Amino acid sequence: MQVDQSQILEALWETLYMTGASFVFSLFIGLPLGILLVVTRKGHLLENEAVFNVLNIVINIFRSVPFIILMVAIIPLTRIIVGTSIGTAAAIVPLVFYAGPYIARLIENSLLEVDKGVIEAAQAMGASPGQIIFRFLIPEALSSLVLALTIAIVGLIGASAMAGAIGGGGLGDLAITYGYQRFDTLVMLLTVAILVVLVQGVQSLGNLMSRRVRRS
Amino acid sequence: MIQFEAVKKTYVSGKQQVHALNGIDLTVETGEIYGVIGFSGAGKSSLIRTVNLLERPSTGRVLIHGEDISTLSARKIRDTRKDIGMIFQHFNLLNSKTVHHNIAMPLILAKTPKAEIDRKVAELLEFVGLADQAKKYPDQLSGGQKQRIGIARALATNPSILLCDEATSALDPQTTQSILDLLRRINQEYNITILLITHEMGVIREICDKVAVLEEGRVIEQGSVFEVFSNPQHATTKRFVRSVMNDELPDSLLEQIRHNDGTRPIYRVQFTGNSVGQPFMSRVSREFQLDLNVLFGNITELQGIPYGNLIVEFDGAHAEIDRALASIRNDNIQVEEVQQHAG
Repeated sequence: MQVDQSQILEALWETLYMTGASFVFSLFIGLPLGILLVVTRKGHLLENEAVFNVLNIVINIFRSVPFIILMVAIIPLTRIIVGTSIGTAAAIVPLVFYAGPYIARLIENSLLEVDKGVIEAAQAMGASPGQIIFRFLIPEALSSLVLALTIAIVGLIGASAMAGAIGGGGLGDLAITYGYQRFDTLVMLLTVAILVVLVQGVQSLGNLMSRRVRRS
Repeated sequence: MIQFEAVKKTYVSGKQQVHALNGIDLTVETGEIYGVIGFSGAGKSSLIRTVNLLERPSTGRVLIHGEDISTLSARKIRDTRKDIGMIFQHFNLLNSKTVHHNIAMPLILAKTPKAEIDRKVAELLEFVGLADQAKKYPDQLSGGQKQRIGIARALATNPSILLCDEATSALDPQTTQSILDLLRRINQEYNITILLITHEMGVIREICDKVAVLEEGRVIEQGSVFEVFSNPQHATTKRFVRSVMNDELPDSLLEQIRHNDGTRPIYRVQFTGNSVGQPFMSRVSREFQLDLNVLFGNITELQGIPYGNLIVEFDGAHAEIDRALASIRNDNIQVEEVQQHAG
């Protein structure tokens, strides 16, 4: 094996760091956008065709650009935000641009599952739009939201593997540079095994939390 | 008090216009239980939703205690909604929250202190008969229990008006009865005005004081439940009345009528209120040398007033029969001959 234990641990840390940080930032962007996508649609709480259409189209555009292209395309922006266009921190910017719109869609989907009758009941009891969103929509969708966000985290783990292209490091980078390009099968198997365990762990945790929050 | 004044509601989808409400004029007096009945698509649902502005009338006005709330600010509208409770066919409870939390919700929204909320929720749970269910979740309850929770939630803010949107349509007959009893208690004990919509005439008969029949967005008939049931005018109203008070003659009876060739004429006798107490049959039989034979009939109660409908065969001389009929009519009992071909 051409790598030692510390390199693998470092790569694992980079993966966790990229995934974790980009997830938090993506959630900050995706949650409000997801809520807006729901409440501005026709016949909903704060119906607003213009806002909905713009959001809808912009999100679709970001969602249709392949991650590897997106990563390169926003390099100038990355440089403004992080000060550099290479490295782990620099990889977080494109990851957020990738996962933010994705999370917005996932959240939209979960919130749309909430029974319209519940919203009607909330309106009938004199709830304000903010109260409806935070006391009715989100609590009722919470279990489904947790599962949706689990999907987003797993997606981010996958996407972060490509961050090697801009020197982001991480397990995926290790697998490509040592396992694939230098034919080190053991490194390849090891990194993939760690990723498998990681994804399994995240998914199990997500399932558990989703059950926990079903009733609050 | 709720007043509908020339209320119209038109939905536009593409180039098509759907007129859900076509000029509704109705007045629901304070303390009344007012029922609106109609087949699906008649506009009931739109009508009830104009009261708390879940639907805005396209034209016309809805006045709540004399005030047109559609002219108010969003905040004032929300305040008014707290005075108008609403319950739903599918209950619309929060499945992620306990029974206690569900009932507390309107109070939480109004930022009521916690101790006050706990006291009020306990009182409401007691009132709807579910004091031991506070910690359960809606999916652990039966339909009837869920509707009781819905009712308790609607009453949390001490509203003066309760809107019932097909509140018993998803329940079995026995549960329906118990929910209707509860609604009547709410009306009597708290003097809450109730406006309900339904497609079940049984619900109207059971608890309503007044009824309006809705068809294609228009009120085709309205009045006290007693008037409408005992003397329905419109064909649709007659169908609804017939659905709970069958006055159609059975086939065997029609066969018999067809064969008697008018030798023993058959009359439909409708008596109401005080006339029920009178033994008119035996009196007529004694006074006029007639034999009276009841072929079919039912007696029921509308708004606490007895109401009867009998099909009676008169056997005797024609002159005697005519005198007898005059005497019966004199007692404010309606009599009409049953046509031999018709029912």
